[in-house]
Amino acid sequence: MKTITILSGKGGVGKSSVTASLAVLLAKKHKIVAADCDVDAPNLGLLFGIKKFKNLERVSTNYKAFVNKKIKQCKNVKRLISVCAFHAISLDKGMPVINKFLCEGCGACKLLCSEGIELKKVENAKVGETKTNYGFYIVSGQIKVGESGSGNVVEVVKERARRIAQEIKADLIIVDSSAGIGCPVIASIRNSDFVVAITEPTPSALHDLKRALKVVEHFKISYGIIINKYDLNKKFAKKIENFAKKHKIPTLGRIPYKKDFVDAIIKMKPVVEINPEYKKIFEGIINKINKNYNRNPLFN
Amino acid sequence: MKIAITGGKGGTGKSTIATALSYKLAKTKKVLLLDLDVDCPNDDLILRVKTEKVKDVESMIPKFDYKKCVKCGLCSRNCREHAIVFVKGNFPFVIPEQCIGCKACKIACPVNAISDSKQKIGEILLGKRKNLTLISGRMKPGIEESSLVVNAVKKFSEQYKNNDYIIIDTAAGTHCPVISALLGCDIALAVTEPTPLGQHDLELILKLAKKLKIKTSIILNRSNIADKRIIENLARRYKSEIIAEIPYSKEIEKNYSAGKPIEHKAIDQIMELIK
Repeated sequence: MKTITILSGKGGVGKSSVTASLAVLLAKKHKIVAADCDVDAPNLGLLFGIKKFKNLERVSTNYKAFVNKKIKQCKNVKRLISVCAFHAISLDKGMPVINKFLCEGCGACKLLCSEGIELKKVENAKVGETKTNYGFYIVSGQIKVGESGSGNVVEVVKERARRIAQEIKADLIIVDSSAGIGCPVIASIRNSDFVVAITEPTPSALHDLKRALKVVEHFKISYGIIINKYDLNKKFAKKIENFAKKHKIPTLGRIPYKKDFVDAIIKMKPVVEINPEYKKIFEGIINKINKNYNRNPLFN
Repeated sequence: MKIAITGGKGGTGKSTIATALSYKLAKTKKVLLLDLDVDCPNDDLILRVKTEKVKDVESMIPKFDYKKCVKCGLCSRNCREHAIVFVKGNFPFVIPEQCIGCKACKIACPVNAISDSKQKIGEILLGKRKNLTLISGRMKPGIEESSLVVNAVKKFSEQYKNNDYIIIDTAAGTHCPVISALLGCDIALAVTEPTPLGQHDLELILKLAKKLKIKTSIILNRSNIADKRIIENLARRYKSEIIAEIPYSKEIEKNYSAGKPIEHKAIDQIMELIK
């Protein structure tokens, strides 16, 4: 079983749209599982027309510190305030107060004052699964609003996807990551076999792509890029291709910008289901992914 | 006044609005723009403001004194980030990218074998154009905790006083770096688009803003690409309002692609409302 991860750095360049179409086409020949690892703002399900997930599991991957309510006096308050690297502890009427939005749950305060501070697991996400109309399963996670720990939630989503993949003997897991290059993206990349990085012909997208690729290289995973909306600025698209050539990065495909993508999102369907013209482009991308995986075929 | 530009979904036009608004405001007012999308900061590119590094963002990382270390493993056991590797009988070591600098290991160490060392986790960049000051945070690729850099930029920016407006451009999503960016803002402007994806992510931001007790108004970008009632209904449910609409035009998209700040009457409407 192999894992392909889709990322981009910059948001809104078409990660989920590309993932949805790749998944539908891949599922015609292979057993696959899709995983929406943009747990902050999960959208992949919507592109398959799914609004609700089944078998929801409440996930607690995070700790937060609480002041023990039984304690009425605190001698340590100054030390507590200074020990918190995240400035989450402040002083109120001689007692420490913890800002739950700033608390990282590291437990440094608890180590300093084991009686006065309680470290509790907090429920920070829900993870569920559903079978799509296209015959494959999608696993999706949603972080609880205001909670942190998205990287750990991504791990839970991937674990569930792996479990389903093992049960149904799937060949492939396709992971849709979030924007950015921080903890949820790093968790998405970890243990992947191939990364597909999406970009568009804008200075911002290229800048962010380069940052995202630095993280991918860190993990020594082979990767390729897709230039989405390439006809929006063909000159800049060429610039991206030249950048890719110079660094021996395979360009897996170029996708033209048409209103079909917007229509697809509104109809909540992958674009290849809206306009069959796209099939050829995405099949080309799949072939190139296969060819570029460590010079070995990623799947048969 | 501190105004956050956010939205949940990526690519809806957060940075486009943040830069266009700052650019226009700066014609008559003193504006400080903070690019707190430290994973992928782009405001300097859109504004074509040249920025220079003014400071490294550093975070504490444990340094082990192996002469004192008794190989008890308490540092590793108390590290909730799993940043310290300990195998029985061996000395512990740290995985720098995973360390968030909380010092729990240092407190847990019974023999004082851990001291503070520093690692670079990002940098702060500064650029100026007349009345507009841009401060951007850039996290070092490979580091996980973006919010540490966000907070460092906010702290650094405090020395730039007497601004009429502070505009804060947040990252996509709703997790820690976005929460850190939003904290302390007077109002938030959520940029969205009338698609099921825009709607879904906007609702998350409206919920988050409510939790953080920040009043949020909506800017509807690409307002004509679909039925905007889905956003209007959502706005009503959360007692928010759409304060400006920008219809889709290939012109705007092309200008953006060419790296030019956009000009649109919606920006004037936003300015009118934040006066």
